[in-house]
Amino acid sequence: MSDVIRTVDLEKRFGGTVVLDRLNLAVSEGSVYGLLGPNGCGKSTTIKILMNILEPSAGRAEIFGNDSRRISPRRDLTRIGYVSENQELPEWMTVEYLMEYLKPFYPSWDEARAAELIWQFDLPRDRKLRHLSHGMRMKAALAALLAYRPKLIVLDEPFTGLDSLVRDELIEGLLENAEGSTIFISSHDLAEIETFASHIGYLDRGRLRFSEEMSSLSGRFREIEIALARALPAPLVWPPTWMRAEESAALVRFVDTQFEYERTMAEVRRLFGEPRDVTVRPMPLREIFVTLAKASRKAA
Amino acid sequence: MRQALHILKKDIRYLRFEIAVMLVVTAAFAFIGARRAFWMDDPHANRSIAWTLVQLQLPFIWWLLIARVLHAETLLGDRQFWITRPYIRGQLLLAKLLFFALCVSLPMLVADAIILGAFGLSPVEQIAGLLWTQVLLWAVVLLPVAALCSVTRGVVESFVATFVLLLILLAWNVALPGMTLGVMWGALDWVTVYYAIGVTAVAAVAILAWQYARRRAWTSRAMAAATVVLVMGGGAAIPWTTAFAVQSHFGKKVGSPSSLHIGFDFERKWLARALVEGDRNVELEIPLHATGLPADTELKGDGLVATMQAPDGTVWRAAKEPWTKIDAERGILSLHAQMNEDFYRKIRDRATTLRGTLYFTLYGDGRSSSLPFDGKQVPVPGLGVCSAHNNGRQELYFLLCSFAFRPEPNQVSIRFAEGDNRGYREIEPGGPVARISYSPFPADPEISPVSQYFQYFNMQPFRGTLSRAVIRTLEPLGHFSREFQIDDLRLGDFEVRRTRLPE
Repeated sequence: MSDVIRTVDLEKRFGGTVVLDRLNLAVSEGSVYGLLGPNGCGKSTTIKILMNILEPSAGRAEIFGNDSRRISPRRDLTRIGYVSENQELPEWMTVEYLMEYLKPFYPSWDEARAAELIWQFDLPRDRKLRHLSHGMRMKAALAALLAYRPKLIVLDEPFTGLDSLVRDELIEGLLENAEGSTIFISSHDLAEIETFASHIGYLDRGRLRFSEEMSSLSGRFREIEIALARALPAPLVWPPTWMRAEESAALVRFVDTQFEYERTMAEVRRLFGEPRDVTVRPMPLREIFVTLAKASRKAA
Repeated sequence: MRQALHILKKDIRYLRFEIAVMLVVTAAFAFIGARRAFWMDDPHANRSIAWTLVQLQLPFIWWLLIARVLHAETLLGDRQFWITRPYIRGQLLLAKLLFFALCVSLPMLVADAIILGAFGLSPVEQIAGLLWTQVLLWAVVLLPVAALCSVTRGVVESFVATFVLLLILLAWNVALPGMTLGVMWGALDWVTVYYAIGVTAVAAVAILAWQYARRRAWTSRAMAAATVVLVMGGGAAIPWTTAFAVQSHFGKKVGSPSSLHIGFDFERKWLARALVEGDRNVELEIPLHATGLPADTELKGDGLVATMQAPDGTVWRAAKEPWTKIDAERGILSLHAQMNEDFYRKIRDRATTLRGTLYFTLYGDGRSSSLPFDGKQVPVPGLGVCSAHNNGRQELYFLLCSFAFRPEPNQVSIRFAEGDNRGYREIEPGGPVARISYSPFPADPEISPVSQYFQYFNMQPFRGTLSRAVIRTLEPLGHFSREFQIDDLRLGDFEVRRTRLPE
């Protein structure tokens, strides 16, 4: 599968502040890629460079194999759908006129689907965007995007400030209507990403800490609790792949970021001898994220 | 083009209220302007306050409309809806320009044509002026305001930027009059005015093209700042002699005053004076005489530069812009200038040579028209459409002429005549308005498309009846310069001192 999005040593500086630091990222066609990271880590900047809203300071970003700085309205933007949490919409337009206005811009516009999306999202056709709630506005923006079946959907923090019901409706609507599309979504709120992302990238202070398939990510992060048979040897040097290690007289708890049962157990035995009991728990994405964020802050 | 029309349709829908206001103000402009044509018959028709107000409202509503439509798709910023949609930037710019054409330009064109028609001036005959007015509207208002809006982030920021810019230009003009638009040059003002318009329009086009192609504010803002500096320094950047050279190039060149000679006017030697003011300056007035003018032509001095050299080699040059005074009688000129008193002392009692260059316009091709006082409109060549009126009691006689866009820079003389020969009031040759312009273009940058020239005569003390107004016009044949030299000039011979009366 070819890459729909690719960045090569991408850098962005604002004055002396490095916001993106040699970012190398690849999003393959058909994937749902969640770009995660704490606030201010460079997620929106990455997306703005991809959408040619900002220019990179160094390196390059590509969309559909074309340099983002040379995004063509006809060739590229007709195939890309972009929604951002803080995007300014033409607030004077009604929902219906927004759809009507956008239609001629997109050769692939599907009028029947547009009508269906308005119905599905329960959008009031005659109401001006300025009179809609934040959630409804996001739905309108998403409907105006899904109606032309974009090949690439770029969503920048789309769920910020939404209640869980609206969020679920948006995700449902997105997944139902984005078949065949590549989705690139940034968020710092992980719960919803976890439910549908096929790939995850973790950005921290402008650097991509990892980028991999969701299944591989959930597979390699495990929370492990060991009941010791004998007293803890001191001083202890933790393996570099173990995080959030906690210890007490008879108990050790840590997160292994490269979990493989045999290898992890061999390491446990080497450090603590034969344990009395071992509990291995898979981790939800939220916990993985928190672990990584805390480790990163500690390192900083 | 299809996308541009689609965006245009959206903008018209979006700004329908503002467009309606604009059309109402333009209609008011047309109505009040057209009614002014009938002020001789109906004194209420000349609503000068309403006319002034509507002319003030128009630029404001133009500004508002331009700012609103440009900021419907604001160029600066990273949150706008349109920047990630398949807008073709050229089409977007075209849509905005079409909006200006449709919602500002076209209504003004129609309004101007209505006003012209009301004054008896044929819009078809005045097509050049009508179109040039549109060129000026674009160059002076639409494009510069659009360029300014393209480097700002919203209507409020655009308003503040416009306000600050106008304030700077106003303060600059008050502080250094003449630096920006050469307001002291009279009929040659148009050179600096068009320099400012040209620089502004070219910069506005460049900024708009750059902004719509790249959306990079700082380059465009630097261009805008450079434009302001170029415009503000325009008057200083263009020497008067260059302006005159430009004028000579653009003006007609009919006939050549090859035998013209400029010299000291001995017949009016009594006019010559060197007035010692006591404030370290000496006020000079030296009468000059022009001879050898081609037949049936008249000369009007536009400027004069002069130098005198002292025995020690120091040179005096007329310090200010060329300044001449033209007398009522043809061919009589005088040099007015201030001389430093130290220099004056050096040459006061010596025979010195005055070297100078006279810049002048030659007028000729005289044409006369005779209008009976019957109130009928008659086209008068070189002036406009005129009508001669009487108040019905054979007392007050009026002559009213209307001209489109700008007066011809002709010399006009008028005679209120009784019978064929006897004239009562002779109105001396002069421009039909206080400030004529030699501009080669068919319209000046003004909002009103029609100006009027009015003269009257009160016959009551003379107990007679006037039969007609005779108008004679002379048109400029060319703009020339002629060097001259006056030898053996002893300024001390003309010295006068201001006498202070005892208190």
